[in-house]
Amino acid sequence: MIKLQNITKVYRTKTIETTALNNINLHVPKGEFLSIMGPSGCGKSTLLNIIGLLDEPSGGDILVDGFAIKKYASRATAKFRNEKLGFIFQSFHLIPDLNVIDNVELPLLYRNISGKERRALAAEALESVGLANRKSHFPSQLSGGQKQRVAIARAIVGKPNIILADEPTGNLDSVMGDEVMDILTRLNKDNETTIVMVTHDERMANKTHRLIRLYDGSQVA
Amino acid sequence: MLSNYLKLAWRILARRKFFTLISLFGISFTLGLLMVTLSFLQTELGANEPLSNKNDFIYVEQIRLERTYYDTITVVDTSFQNGVAVYDTTFNYKESGTGASQTEMSNKIVDNYLRGLPSAADMTMFSTSNTHDVFVNGVKLTLDILLADARYWSIFDHKPLEGRFFDSAEVEAASQVIVISTKTAQDYFGRESNVVDEEMFIDGKTYKVIGVYKNNGKIIEYVSPAAVTPYTTMNMATLDNFYFGPFEVMYLKQTHDDAEKLKDEIRLAGTKVPVDHPDNEHDFKDVVLQPMTYNEMYAQGVYYEEDAEDSYATMKWILLGLLTFFTVLPTLNLINLNVSRIMDRSSEIGVRKAFGAHQGNIIAQFIVENIVQTILGGIIGLGIAILLINIINKGGYLGTSELTFNTKFFIYSFLATLVFGVLSGFLPAYKMSKLQIVKALKENQL
Ligand SMILES: Nc1ncnc2c1ncn2[C@@H]1O[C@H](COP(=O)(O)OP(=O)(O)OP(=O)(O)O)[C@@H](O)[C@H]1O
Ligand SMILES: [Mg+2]
Repeated sequence: MIKLQNITKVYRTKTIETTALNNINLHVPKGEFLSIMGPSGCGKSTLLNIIGLLDEPSGGDILVDGFAIKKYASRATAKFRNEKLGFIFQSFHLIPDLNVIDNVELPLLYRNISGKERRALAAEALESVGLANRKSHFPSQLSGGQKQRVAIARAIVGKPNIILADEPTGNLDSVMGDEVMDILTRLNKDNETTIVMVTHDERMANKTHRLIRLYDGSQVA
Repeated sequence: MLSNYLKLAWRILARRKFFTLISLFGISFTLGLLMVTLSFLQTELGANEPLSNKNDFIYVEQIRLERTYYDTITVVDTSFQNGVAVYDTTFNYKESGTGASQTEMSNKIVDNYLRGLPSAADMTMFSTSNTHDVFVNGVKLTLDILLADARYWSIFDHKPLEGRFFDSAEVEAASQVIVISTKTAQDYFGRESNVVDEEMFIDGKTYKVIGVYKNNGKIIEYVSPAAVTPYTTMNMATLDNFYFGPFEVMYLKQTHDDAEKLKDEIRLAGTKVPVDHPDNEHDFKDVVLQPMTYNEMYAQGVYYEEDAEDSYATMKWILLGLLTFFTVLPTLNLINLNVSRIMDRSSEIGVRKAFGAHQGNIIAQFIVENIVQTILGGIIGLGIAILLINIINKGGYLGTSELTFNTKFFIYSFLATLVFGVLSGFLPAYKMSKLQIVKALKENQL
């Protein structure tokens, strides 16, 4: 499902060169729930962004769900992200001007489906994260856990094959964290959704199929 | 897809009330004020009755007799040639001043020199500033009566609301007939209509009212006189000066001619006026006529320069400057607002792209947002313009002038605003749409 070969990422500024990822090789089969751990700044988010085709690696090859990317800004890549990938960001990234249901609908906006159908799918996704009663709230009116669940609903509404989650439980207490973990686990089991999750929490990592560790841009386990 | 963008635009604008309000305020007030200004200019200067022919008007107000005085300066160059002093004398003439006498023209000048110019399609001769006090039921009423020939009615297309205008036979016969404006009818008879065949007593003479035209409230006296009578009813015997008299001339040029053609003929006609007439008491050397277009005449009234063409040019620049000022400032403001509004939303752009929006989606979204905003502003601006025009008309702040709403101007200025709105949305949207997703997401986090 996901194949990375010799992936490196180097950030160059005028004065310094940071190697965020150093020669990463990774294979994630379909239906796997993989977690990534490592100290802050070791390159976890960078790796996730590269898998999600949000960021271009400095070197190496990448194949995601049979899609060999040519141009990051192309329509084909946008279409691929839209249909196959779902993101859950470390800091939610909900759009403050839109209410909950509009935020969840967002990925469907770039598909050819009717407004009615979009509403229905978004309501369904909200239901599955237990937020059916918050449709017309705005993000500023939600708690951190609720925001995270809206972000999850948005990531799953388009029924993607792959979900990329950057510390989805990082901002939540253990009860909320467990709930979010349950949602992801269920999604992985029921729909065979491939999930790659960054986490700082050993306990959460233990609930996944496999764990890899990064240290200073290199895979150590 | 468009309906999605429209809904989205509506939601965002409704959500960002403050931004939207400021933008709408800018757009609508600019448009509204622009409309009122243009409508004022249109009413005052537009080619509408009785000025339907104004673009073909060439006006000669006065005749000018002048003489230029020269200072003579003697310059002597002294040099030695073969040991002998040589004096080389030159004279320098320097213009030091002009003496001139200038006023309206006598009918002799008009009749003998200004008629029959090849490029003139028509002309009228009239006299303004004839103020008469009349008494109505013991109350004094001051009337500015225009004395004119019969051609006046074909050059200035007043519409008779009742009765008729006088003809050349009546001018010839010095008939004591008078054509009055609705305002004069109201002031003198207490009613605007049904006054034909009534009599008016002016300076001990009795005039018969033969027609009424609509008062147009324009500033220029001969365009909006209180009443018009044949010029022959004045005491012509007292007009004995060869050059000077009370008359002004309005020509109508051939429509397709350049104004300069007739102006040149008029200037040339001036040079043919003899200076060796005994009425030239101060021994002036030149006779000068200064023909001008209607707009030049108007501009000279507002901003005097010796040459009416200069006045007109200056006025045009001033007006253009003001219009530019009043449209460019709000436009810049709008652009600024749009730019910061869009820059502000870089992480939204990042999120949208991460979930499958391509560059075109992003640009389209912001442009639709801007168009919706501009159209809303346009509608409000239209309301403001109509409201202001109504207030001005109802309150009579422009005398009897009525402002009319000009749909063409509205469409033009609205389109101009739309272009600015779209451009000011497009440029930042285009720039932002090219931003890399990770960078967009990192900038001012949601
Ligand atoms: N745009 C950038 N320019 C320069 N260096 C960068 C940039 N983005 C990330 N880095 C560097 O790359 C390295 C990896 O960053 P990354 O965000 O992937 O860390 P992380 O493992 O996700 O950390 P955290 O757990 O704190 O989220 C860090 O050292 C960071 O300073
Ligand atoms: Mg991170």
